[in-house]
Amino acid sequence: MNALEVSNISKRFGNFFAVKDLTFEISEGSIYGLLGPNGAGKTTTLRMVMNIIMPDSGEIKVLGQKMDERMKARIGYLPEDRGLYPKMKVGEILLFLAEIKGVRGERAKKKIDLWLDRFSLSEWKQKKVEELSKGMQQKIQFIVTVIHEPEIIILDEPFGGLDPVNTKLIKDIMMEMEKKGHTIIFSTHRMEQVEMICDKICLINKAEKVLEGGLADIKKEYGKNTVILDYDGNGSFIKEFPGIEKIDDYGKFMEIKMKEKADPQGLLETLVGKIQVNKFEVREPTLNAIFIDKVGEKDAEDTVSH
Amino acid sequence: MRKILSVIKREYIQIVRTKGFIIGTVLGPVLMASFIVVPVLMSVISVDKQETIGVVDLSERVFTGLENKLDMKLKDGQRRYLLTEYKVRRDVDGLREELNRKVLSDELTAYLIIPENISEGGTAKYYSRNVSDFDKLRSINEAVNSVVIEKRLNKEGLNPSKIAEYLKRIRWKNNKVTKRGVEEDTGGTFIIAYFLVLILYMTLFFYGSIIMRGVIEEKTSRVVEVVLSSLKPFQLMIGKLLGIAAVGFTQYTIWALFGLAASKYGGRLVSGIFPQAQAFKMPSMPAYIFVYFVVFFILGYFLYGTLYAAIGSVVNSEKEAQQLLFPISMFLIVPILLIMFVMRSPSSSVSVILSLVPFFAPILMLLRISILLPPFIQVAGSIVLMILMILLMVWLVSKIYRVGILMYGKRPNMKEIIKWVRYS
Repeated sequence: MNALEVSNISKRFGNFFAVKDLTFEISEGSIYGLLGPNGAGKTTTLRMVMNIIMPDSGEIKVLGQKMDERMKARIGYLPEDRGLYPKMKVGEILLFLAEIKGVRGERAKKKIDLWLDRFSLSEWKQKKVEELSKGMQQKIQFIVTVIHEPEIIILDEPFGGLDPVNTKLIKDIMMEMEKKGHTIIFSTHRMEQVEMICDKICLINKAEKVLEGGLADIKKEYGKNTVILDYDGNGSFIKEFPGIEKIDDYGKFMEIKMKEKADPQGLLETLVGKIQVNKFEVREPTLNAIFIDKVGEKDAEDTVSH
Repeated sequence: MRKILSVIKREYIQIVRTKGFIIGTVLGPVLMASFIVVPVLMSVISVDKQETIGVVDLSERVFTGLENKLDMKLKDGQRRYLLTEYKVRRDVDGLREELNRKVLSDELTAYLIIPENISEGGTAKYYSRNVSDFDKLRSINEAVNSVVIEKRLNKEGLNPSKIAEYLKRIRWKNNKVTKRGVEEDTGGTFIIAYFLVLILYMTLFFYGSIIMRGVIEEKTSRVVEVVLSSLKPFQLMIGKLLGIAAVGFTQYTIWALFGLAASKYGGRLVSGIFPQAQAFKMPSMPAYIFVYFVVFFILGYFLYGTLYAAIGSVVNSEKEAQQLLFPISMFLIVPILLIMFVMRSPSSSVSVILSLVPFFAPILMLLRISILLPPFIQVAGSIVLMILMILLMVWLVSKIYRVGILMYGKRPNMKEIIKWVRYS
């Protein structure tokens, strides 16, 4: 059974299409990445999946049933625009948000203590939310998302504003949840995370789907014509080498896209002696490169840079 | 339904715990007590001092009588008003200038010019820096008036010693006829009506802004979408309205208990502290007025509460909300401005129609009920109209609310808001 089936959904705000005829499905127990530049329609799509806004047309099925209010209890949702009631105590707000997900009484209290302990926040339980640091509030947010043990977990930009330690913590829990059979859907515009975590992705741009499939399949389709070069020295001469289609130079790191029949070995020979080569790898393109290729450099500039 | 209950519980606990609620709940009775105590205090502790008033008596017949009439005493036994007569030496205008200087230098509080023909319809003129002290003006006016009338009667050959008796005012008592019989009114009806309407007005404003601030807080703290992942916008809105209504109920109950205690022991307490004060009688309030008061508060609360919720949902900050609040404030202020009119003619057709308008009804119909109970059909009519209006508002506002709470950035204009209602 599919955890989520989205068929031909569209949403218009005035004359502007936020989502246009979008279709994708997610099999149970997988980690699915919804990618796209800012304003592509990711958040609108997830809001429609959550029944927070209604699609103008199309259908959404969750766990085999048409999405409705009752299904909300089986999904955990971490919105991109997220926050907590600043004046409430940590224990109270967790209890309230657990209650409206249908977890009540002693069961809710037990779970709250368990999760607070896991994130080492137990001594903050009686403190007001506004007294917590930003990172602690993010952890509380995450607890809220999973406290009712939902079958599907939807995370909209889950790592936005997180430091590396908390990012790892959240990532570890995501992997653990996947092992337990939960389905995880997350949206992001940071490709390196997607490469590490996702099984399948869907790339949307300007309200429409441009790419969908398993991560490995997509990369294979792009072929092994990319050179990853880790170097020291002045590498500006490389662009003169015949058979190079495109270079992404980061100063000490270069992603070089070769033309169809070009010879990577020849390139390596040219490099030796002129610069110090720390690593030379012929492989599929990074997801980042595919993303830029599909979305177009101009569109992606403001997205990928941060 | 359980989700709505959770929202109600959250709203209730969060607000009842705030300092604002605790202070407001305590301050209410203090305010009520001050309504009773302050007027009594004012009558006991007078701040009056002796004042000198100049009199230019061109008729040459009034001054002596006036000095006898205006003989109120201060607490220390001295005269309240010291009268000084000024004679015209050259011309009246010159004297007036001199007296004006004396008034401006506070040598005189005021001066009075009594024309020669005062008995035949001439105008007495009063000059002072302050001509708004109605109490003082009235007593001086009365004194001059009765002196002149006595002179006229005297001229007609009436026995001067009997004149005072002839001029004695009649005694008068107001009685209110109600279905339960006739009861004497000592101004209590007016006080109660005014008091109730004022409380209603203040609490509608107060709870309305609590609702609005709650909605804005959910938006600015970005918690709203987290909540909406579990329930419908409508459930959140209704839960908020009901939760805050429960807060209002709590506050009213506390106040009612205070009020009950005050009406039972208040009079005794006041006369215990200030034995000088004449036996103070607390105005009593019939139970049915209190019941209507609660009914109209509830209806008014939902009527205005939905409006405040709508405003909270379309703005990004309380500052932005201020401009939008103006029309709502007008809805509340207009009936307050109409209070005097409705009190004077509570059964006129204009009053009846105004009190049936849903947004005016909480204040104006309650006012009419507390002055003289209108026909039941009118009261029921206003209640039905309000309920219909509330249903319409809830329907309309829930459509604005569900879009508004997820909108950040530029405040939508009226046209866009109408579009939201039409689309969803």
